[in-house]
Amino acid sequence: MQKTILVGGKAGLGTAVTSHFIGRVFCALGYHVFNYRDYPSLIRGGHNFNVLNISDKPVSSHDNKYDFIIAFDQKTIDLHKEELKPEGFILGKKGLTGDKVINIDTKSILEKLDAPRIMENNIFLGWVFNYFGVDENVLFDKMAEKFKGDKLELIKSSIKEGYNLSEKKESIEKIGSPKYFLSGSQGVGVGALNAGIDAYIAYPMTPATPVLHFLAKKQIDNNFLVLQIENEIGVVNAGMGSAFAGAKTMVGTSSGGLALMSETLSMTGISEVPLVAYLAQRTGPATGVPTYTAQSDLKMAINIGHGEFLRIVVAPGDAKEAIIRTQEAFYLSSKYKTLAIIVTDKHVAESDYSSDDLEGSSLDNQRFIESNFSNNHKSYEITDDGISPRVIPGQGPVVRATSYEHNEYGNTIEDAETVKKMNDKRMKKEEFIRDEIKKLNPTSVYGEGENLIIGWGSTKGAIIDSLPSLENYRFLQISYVSPFPKESVLREIEKSKKIVLVENNATGLLGDVIAEQTGYIIKDKILKYDARPFIPSDIINKINK
Amino acid sequence: MEIQDIKTKEENTWCPGCTNMSILRSVQEVLTDLVNESKIEKKNISIACDIGCFAKIFDYLNVNGFYGLHGRTLPLCFGMKVGNPELTVIGFAGDGATYGEGVSHLVHSCRFNADFTMIVSNNKTFALTTGQASPTSRKGYKGVSTPLGVGEEPMNPLALALVSGASFVARGNALNPVQLKSIFKQAIEHKGFAFIDILQPCLTFNNFIPYIQKNAYELEGGHDVEDLNQALKKASEWDYSVDEDKKVATGIFYKKERPIYEDQWPQLKKPWYQVERNINQQENTKEFV
Repeated sequence: MQKTILVGGKAGLGTAVTSHFIGRVFCALGYHVFNYRDYPSLIRGGHNFNVLNISDKPVSSHDNKYDFIIAFDQKTIDLHKEELKPEGFILGKKGLTGDKVINIDTKSILEKLDAPRIMENNIFLGWVFNYFGVDENVLFDKMAEKFKGDKLELIKSSIKEGYNLSEKKESIEKIGSPKYFLSGSQGVGVGALNAGIDAYIAYPMTPATPVLHFLAKKQIDNNFLVLQIENEIGVVNAGMGSAFAGAKTMVGTSSGGLALMSETLSMTGISEVPLVAYLAQRTGPATGVPTYTAQSDLKMAINIGHGEFLRIVVAPGDAKEAIIRTQEAFYLSSKYKTLAIIVTDKHVAESDYSSDDLEGSSLDNQRFIESNFSNNHKSYEITDDGISPRVIPGQGPVVRATSYEHNEYGNTIEDAETVKKMNDKRMKKEEFIRDEIKKLNPTSVYGEGENLIIGWGSTKGAIIDSLPSLENYRFLQISYVSPFPKESVLREIEKSKKIVLVENNATGLLGDVIAEQTGYIIKDKILKYDARPFIPSDIINKINK
Repeated sequence: MEIQDIKTKEENTWCPGCTNMSILRSVQEVLTDLVNESKIEKKNISIACDIGCFAKIFDYLNVNGFYGLHGRTLPLCFGMKVGNPELTVIGFAGDGATYGEGVSHLVHSCRFNADFTMIVSNNKTFALTTGQASPTSRKGYKGVSTPLGVGEEPMNPLALALVSGASFVARGNALNPVQLKSIFKQAIEHKGFAFIDILQPCLTFNNFIPYIQKNAYELEGGHDVEDLNQALKKASEWDYSVDEDKKVATGIFYKKERPIYEDQWPQLKKPWYQVERNINQQENTKEFV
């Protein structure tokens, strides 16, 4: 079974909710689901659409050929009718026109039920699930998870009206245990909860904001703090203050916001105050295409901040991996007293992925704080591994952090010998981080074949889904871009015949990083830079050409 | 505790006779007194500084602290306070950093009213970078970057702090350490955001000592510190220029407690590093199935 459904309409009519709900029902029935959200930068009106890919086999990307379309407005039909499969149809309210349109008189039903217009989507849901042959109680149970009382009753009545209007054409049944269904943003949020976050500080910016919203809702029950303050520079400096004071702290933003944080992120390098930064990339440069996707900030993430300093950069490729990589970012940042950046993009952040399990990382979430200390504590004590034992202000000894070059006590120095010594101390941590990362699957290989596709981040889904249509290709996903796992990348490159780079940017940024780190220059590149994510056919058509 | 305990052995690199010395000494004395009076604990004092002459105070105070970036002292202080509400947080920065580079943070710190103290040493010039004009330089000030003289009127940080909602606003005079100590003490004990602008003539680049000696006076009993309108009126008496003699009020202009930022957050009860978490990963994901 495989179905691709588009749900489209003006912003504010509930297209995203409808699509997400269909996804949740299929997940409850044990199907694999991927949900893509496409929306312009406005609040009411415009054209939003969601594409659901539902299958009895694993699926982690969408497509642009639809089995049917749920149209909340005429524009949806006009824009997408060409993408309808030959046997497909369009479901829309009375008055919408076009070939293969099945009209439902939602207006009279709503009047009969004395229901507001936002209930319209429930009539469509009823129609669709009766067509699929899914029992209405499955829907009611799912609705009851989110709604109750009179509202739930009204939703149920609306769904029932929809059931009465369609014919049962299929008999979709439960095929397995229920699947999890969540977005990459929710994955980052869950990862932060699993890691024991104490403070999340952010300023709103699409597409990083869903993490802010998710964590804000969780803060009371999970006992941590979520703060929105004046601007990104304020955010990252408050983040440094909070981390210095002992809170496990993450700051979050999108591309332009991270650029604003640049100077302060450099301060993580010399102050060795552990900070986690969440970067959800969007299409740049500058304001760019704010609600759309790109992988164009890879080099910003691995180079951000003036001066030379260590940082860890992880790039999860789906929601489940977002949980694990976020936990790893917290762990490594706390243990090695460094900056750790979690890089996603609009596509990972705002798409929904199904998963059999959401088992997080087994790394512990200890704080790496010393309870034994001397009163002559040296905040920057030089040790064999470069890690100075961490004490928190308030524990007792004088604790110092500084943006200046400093001696072991954190007092300002300018002499040549100490400057070099402290640089060596900080850089020494890299070899230990590298060893630790080797145990965390910094790269993953999917499929088999002598040819190799290389990618990172959100392209993971479309690449994996394209493999069955490609002859003799396997996929190397790079999840750690700093420190770069050069040995394992080079090993895969050396044993491959043909190598293709797939990236959602205009110049092949990962290709540059691979060349810099391994000396290998990838010539075949499939690049997409129209602010839209890859679908498998983008890759299959190019490779099989 | 002896005052020696709060001093470091670092070499002081301010110019000989710098008026920052009296601010430093006053801070050291007040902190020592407050610790000895059990009003605060030395282990909980945490300072934040940024970049500029005054920020060098970081190296001369033997307490916890973060020597941060130019203009960013305020969010650093704010972060420390939400990271550990038990800390006694004090920020130190100059006029260039606080009123120029980081002025947005000043406005919002006044609004937020988190419980910490901000001490600005205002010499009306960028001294550590050799005397360029700052936002509080007088109109006509000729610095190395403004050979024709500054064309704008100086900004009035006290008025800005008052209209932005600061719950404690004071002006100190670096030449009057007795008053400074009294202001510092009340500021640190004030529950909420305490903002102090200290007139600190720079002997090298902007010496307005004669003007201050002639015109500064201390606010006294007749001034109602809980009256915002009176405070604004007093703050408007002098516009930070030094061309013609105007009375320069010093002391506490406004002091009225209101709910602090930290109190909004029921979960902000103790230092986060002391919070023990019993994390159930399955619990964190159950809503998604």
